Amino acid sequence: MIPLLAVDLLLMLPALLLLGVVFLLPLLRDAWLSLHASTVVTGLMAVPNGAANWWRLFDDARFRQDAFQTVRFTGVSVALELVLGLGLALLLHRPGRGRALLRALVLLPWALPTTVMALGWRWILNDPHGPLNGLLQAVGLPTFGFLTTPSTTWLAVVVADVWKTTPFVALLLLAGLQSIPVDLVEALQLEGAGRLTILRRLTLPLLAPWIALALLFRIAQSLGVFDLIQVLTGGGPAGSTESLAMYAYRQSLRFLDFGYGATVLMATFLLLLLPGVIWLLLQNRLPRRTA
Amino acid sequence: MRALVLLWSLGPLLWQLRTSLLPPDALVGQGPTAWTLENYRLVLSGDPPLWASLRNSGLVGLGTTLLTLSLALPCAYALQRHRAGLLGWGVGAVLLAASLFPTVLLFLGLLEMARSLHLANSLTALCLPYTALALPLAILILRAAIAALPPELEDAARLEGLALGQRLRSVLLPLLAPALASTAILTFLASWNEYPIALTWISRVDRLTLPTAMARLAGSSVFTVPYGAFAAATVLGSLPLLLLVLVAQRWIISGLTQGAVKG
Repeated sequence: MIPLLAVDLLLMLPALLLLGVVFLLPLLRDAWLSLHASTVVTGLMAVPNGAANWWRLFDDARFRQDAFQTVRFTGVSVALELVLGLGLALLLHRPGRGRALLRALVLLPWALPTTVMALGWRWILNDPHGPLNGLLQAVGLPTFGFLTTPSTTWLAVVVADVWKTTPFVALLLLAGLQSIPVDLVEALQLEGAGRLTILRRLTLPLLAPWIALALLFRIAQSLGVFDLIQVLTGGGPAGSTESLAMYAYRQSLRFLDFGYGATVLMATFLLLLLPGVIWLLLQNRLPRRTA
Repeated sequence: MRALVLLWSLGPLLWQLRTSLLPPDALVGQGPTAWTLENYRLVLSGDPPLWASLRNSGLVGLGTTLLTLSLALPCAYALQRHRAGLLGWGVGAVLLAASLFPTVLLFLGLLEMARSLHLANSLTALCLPYTALALPLAILILRAAIAALPPELEDAARLEGLALGQRLRSVLLPLLAPALASTAILTFLASWNEYPIALTWISRVDRLTLPTAMARLAGSSVFTVPYGAFAAATVLGSLPLLLLVLVAQRWIISGLTQGAVKG
């Protein structure tokens, strides 16, 4: 008789092995590569160069700019997605005819390929022929270069991202709403509590773990934003929408500087650990507060 | 309120549909707005034709889904038995972290791997990283579904003397069908939409997946005012998913919430 634990480990092994190869190896390789020079000059061979890549990173104005832009994009879009997602979840939670169809239709933007809809938004925001500028002209305003104005184009990126990802946040929060016992809501209603009071005193506190999870998901994904911006603006105009992941991609595949590209990736990874750690700390506090 | 939400969600999609049916001159406000299928003819007869990338994405999606299910189910089954223990907790934490991870950060390491193992431009090989990306959520969904099964069920099957394989086939699989459907759909969606890895692994134009073909369209200037063609490509690339979401909305929602929240 083979012990049960051995059987279970055997059953898990293929999946865990593949996860290790695809997730862990590239990360370790990045960490290793970030301590090497691997460029056209070295014939793309990795030559140890100590912390040179990291010193370069600290001095790199473009890296600082992209880091700022990535964090700004993450902060603003995730905040909007949370607020709109909560509203949407409340709407989808309300009973009514055609609720299933409404949920399916609302889900659509999230399900479509990011590159596909980024192309769609490029047309919508086109200056002067896109429909949005058509609207502006119809009410007698001049057209606006939504994707060509360096100071505001990042906001257009935020709008496209909010359009695409709010349904995801709404779905997570909807699951949270469905887990709230109906009797609790009714009890508060009997006490004469209004809708806003119920939302503040009951719904939001009970929803807190779901909100935290949705935040964590969205912050992690936004800090690595790539597809959307790559197709919508290509990082332009004048680099004003370039994200860290795009910078790493450009360094390695356009300039063939793999050592520095890996360093940018590692830095992004370290940035990513921050919300994870905060979430872990909150995890330990939230249940006690809602209990 | 509902009308407003629908307008916001569907407006951009409907506008793409409209754009795809107009001739290029009409888009820049110079020609009559006569409906035409010319844009569809353009993208379907282009080089490479769009249907090739639709087919590639479909094949990779199917392969990834099959591989993911066959790796995730045994893992979830075994993991569930150690839910309370340190092993179960540790693996669960790793899976959650992996499901949060923005996969674009892996592209450089994966690219080197593909080069040294000569896997570049192979659609079959592309299923491997895609499976790994889908596995964390898949295992979490299936583990939650297995945890929800009544424990007596399996004991009874075991008492009947059914071997592990038989227990899986005749008892577990039918009961897990909804969770398996959720997992399959979410896996297919993720694989259909993945961009950074396909971008770095696939360079042959006849092997491009849909997202990479779309991005390539966006970067090229083959068409003079290309937005009609873009829109036609958008519509064609969205149609399969539109059908999938309309048919399988229930499983998508239950899968996402089970995997992410209860997992």
